[in-house]
Amino acid sequence: MEFWELVAFTLRIAAPILAFIILSVCFWSLNDGRRTDHALVVLQDDNTGKIYPVTFWENLIGRSDKADICVENDMTISREHAVLLRRDTGWFVTDIGSKAGVYVNEKKIKGRCMVYIGDKISLGNTSLILRRVDETKESSRTRVSGTAVKKSVSGTFLLALITFYIIMISTEAMIYVRDILYLIPVALFVAVMWIFHKFSDRFMKIKHFELESIAFLLTGTGIVMCNTYSSRLGYMQLIATIIGLCIFSFIVWFIKVPDRVIYWRLIMSVFAILMLGAAAVFGREVNGASNWVFIGPFSFQPSEFAKVAYIFIGAGTLDQLQKLQNLLGFIIVTAICILILGYISDFGSALIFFVAFIIISYLRSGDMRKIMTIGAVAIIGAFFILTLKPYVAERFQVIGHIWEYSDSLGYQQTNTLVCSASGGLFGLGTGNGNLRYVMASESDLVFGAISEEMGLISALMLAVTIGGFMIYARAVIIKSRSVFYSMAACSAGGLLVFQAALHIFGILGMLPLTGVTLPFVSYGGSSMMACWGLLAFIKSADERTYYKKSTAEIPKKGEVLI
Amino acid sequence: MKKIRKRSFIVLLMTIAFFAGLVYHTVNIYINAKEWVMKPQNLHLTAAGNLDHGGKILDINNVVLAQSIDGERIYNDDELVRKACLHVVGDDKNSNIFNCIQEIYRADLIGYDFTFGLGMPKDLRKGKDIRLTIDSNLQKAALTALGDKKGAVIFYNYKTGAVACMVSTPTYDPQNRPNDLESNEAYEGVYLNRALWGQYTPGSTFKLVTAAAGLENIRDIENKVLQCKGADIIGNEAITCEFSMGTVNMRDAVCYSCNIYFGHLATELGKARMFKQAEKMGFNSRIEFDGMESAKSVYDVSEADVNDFAWSGVGQYNTLETPINVAMISAAIANGGIPVTPYIVQSITDNDFEHSSSFGNAIMSAETAEKLSDYMDYAVENNYGKYRFSSRFDVCAKTGTAEVSEDGQDAHAWITGFCKDEDFPYAFAVVVEHGGSGYDNAIPVAAAVLSAAEETLDSGMTYK
Repeated sequence: MEFWELVAFTLRIAAPILAFIILSVCFWSLNDGRRTDHALVVLQDDNTGKIYPVTFWENLIGRSDKADICVENDMTISREHAVLLRRDTGWFVTDIGSKAGVYVNEKKIKGRCMVYIGDKISLGNTSLILRRVDETKESSRTRVSGTAVKKSVSGTFLLALITFYIIMISTEAMIYVRDILYLIPVALFVAVMWIFHKFSDRFMKIKHFELESIAFLLTGTGIVMCNTYSSRLGYMQLIATIIGLCIFSFIVWFIKVPDRVIYWRLIMSVFAILMLGAAAVFGREVNGASNWVFIGPFSFQPSEFAKVAYIFIGAGTLDQLQKLQNLLGFIIVTAICILILGYISDFGSALIFFVAFIIISYLRSGDMRKIMTIGAVAIIGAFFILTLKPYVAERFQVIGHIWEYSDSLGYQQTNTLVCSASGGLFGLGTGNGNLRYVMASESDLVFGAISEEMGLISALMLAVTIGGFMIYARAVIIKSRSVFYSMAACSAGGLLVFQAALHIFGILGMLPLTGVTLPFVSYGGSSMMACWGLLAFIKSADERTYYKKSTAEIPKKGEVLI
Repeated sequence: MKKIRKRSFIVLLMTIAFFAGLVYHTVNIYINAKEWVMKPQNLHLTAAGNLDHGGKILDINNVVLAQSIDGERIYNDDELVRKACLHVVGDDKNSNIFNCIQEIYRADLIGYDFTFGLGMPKDLRKGKDIRLTIDSNLQKAALTALGDKKGAVIFYNYKTGAVACMVSTPTYDPQNRPNDLESNEAYEGVYLNRALWGQYTPGSTFKLVTAAAGLENIRDIENKVLQCKGADIIGNEAITCEFSMGTVNMRDAVCYSCNIYFGHLATELGKARMFKQAEKMGFNSRIEFDGMESAKSVYDVSEADVNDFAWSGVGQYNTLETPINVAMISAAIANGGIPVTPYIVQSITDNDFEHSSSFGNAIMSAETAEKLSDYMDYAVENNYGKYRFSSRFDVCAKTGTAEVSEDGQDAHAWITGFCKDEDFPYAFAVVVEHGGSGYDNAIPVAAAVLSAAEETLDSGMTYK
């Protein structure tokens, strides 16, 4: 045993180092492969010859200095006049309710109008001509137009590293679990990972795999962890991952054409409300909140799926958002969702929905004052809830006093701290912890369990990685193919981060304990599927996801691109 | 697009707050990890057998009290020492012995550090050694003197706080654990360290509290006299003395332990001032040092009638006091009214931990302390007999014989006091449960420890 103890100890130190290398390579590659800031096409002022570089896929044209293409000194142009969009088929211009109207080749347009190289777009007294970058003087300063994609780190290489990492942590866990059958779900997970990579490479034509690799690393760690509780949990988590991957692929495919998604909004709203309604009607109470629905042997949390649908409802393309300035419909859907969640006492999810709402509505309106007003109303509502449900108020009381309640309301928090401290930086060994004997620790306390058994470094790395999704989402949004993706990615990333914060700081006694899961890592099928669903939005925000060589070309008049 | 980018700072802000929270947690765990690890709920520590590779526990003269050899915890060679130190050191195979060094300093003993937590394989881990202020010779003497009686002895330095002796009986040998700990009546309460956790009726030792309250609150009280006829009515019932003492002032009342004097003094002071003085002197709160803590001494006269209250002034009624608290009051008297905080851990190896003394707030004025010290000196000279304590030390003391309500049970025998000597500046408290009178049965126990201390000094060693 002493020899194996030493092996386990070595593996525990080596595994986080390898994980750190993998994550660093992934994030470095994601950052390095981004498109540079050169113009896609240019607009040239017909009178003055002034060049306006067009750098985004969706560009707001107007007099306002916040517009992407700011045409100054022409008072006939509205502050927000038109939107110039790029789609796979070419470039389009839309009038977003300007006073003077938009003319293409002297013809007034209604709705979206395709524009070709050489076309004249007239806004008020100004006429802009769409030109290729290399037709202008700009070409000397910028590279040839098109989407230059650098070669990213190969998915095969990343998966090989992750496979090695999973072998390391599962071997380490084997030493304590001592059951060879334990390895089966883990081995199957590795297989799923490789099959998915082939599938996405072959059929989805997705040529870079860093984001999925990162998520696989999180998911793999979670599976190894909850598998040591019992291999039943391992198999359940594996199945959830497979379904999650299907949802991921489906969403990436489904939102390929952002203009199409807009028509699904109403259906998505109905879906979200129905999902939550189902929880309210058929929900069975598990640990305080009746957010579980049982169908035969399967149980799921509808609120997790509602989260994904909610992103659809909130996001939209730039021209649509400019036309639909008011948030009323969105607010109504949100209010219904949060009320239902309050009714079924799922306050963790209610809080997540509320934060998602704040993010989305701020991204849409940019009106801080309005958001503050809504926030104030929500806080009054929250106080009302606290008086109705005293046990929720109790959870707030515990904050900062967990040691005084160490055998009642602070039991989970204090145990998490005690166990994390015992684990040190490298942990006591997977399967060798004590926090696992606290009820629901595989889902609600997984950050603490990982901290205890795999070490503080591993636990922190997982948390930082979830924050990394958000940082990445923000880094790519400006170059994504539509404002729809930018908003969806930002809200999905924000959701993941907020949920992680609620999970981690809840069990550390810094926030009320709400029993939400740690994205990708916690045991929980619905949660796992929803996380992969949310990841799809972040994936789609990167223009490389839908990269095709043809999109680099812009048709001249008379040409059509396929 | 630019707009969205600008507005997306809201999520960036959220992420930064998230990272800041993680940093906070890391710093928090770095600072507090050791304290958390030692929480009683930590099963990694309380599970038996973890001290198999633990560090040593030494007494002040580096006598090994406990050590681990070849994966086994071995205690001192001498059975008497093992028994005497049980409640201080603890028993690794019996977690019922609580609040002991092996429990409190387990993290240090088994070599916990922040980097590896408890995750380092046992063979690579290096436990730290802990040197205590305890003197095993005094421990042995105290245990021998207590004999089969239940009780507690505590000696600690009133200048530095170093605890040289802390013994609690009944006890057992951790090397040869008896099987009948739970069933044999002789072992009743064996897990309790009575020096800290035993709550006893203090009897006449409490008169020091009442006297202090009188001296602090009533001008010239020490010169007022009272006629003791052996019994007097306060309230509706009698308050009695052992014998009729005639005209007594405070000094006489302390010396001969006049109940009537202190019953009247308490009545004159009133509940509020008595309560205030008792709280000042440690009642109704715990004494804590080096992770050890005591039970609370109890002084609660809120529902006492006039007679009850008078009895509370002589340490009866519902008054309860822990031996450490009794010793602490003597220590404060010896040290000009300022109690030093006791300590028991002298040093921890590789930790650069070296104890430094700390003092509590004055519990009485220096003048009061001076007067009480004189009275205790007078009591030894004129009543207890100096020779009965020690031929060498200049002892001041106060006995106590605490009547207990159980029928047919002898009173608890108490003695508390201190040595004025520069080379042995120690305060002490001894309690013998149902031992009879303090004069007859507690003084010899204190004397035995003092004589062991004499021997130590004679052999050339010193007490800090």
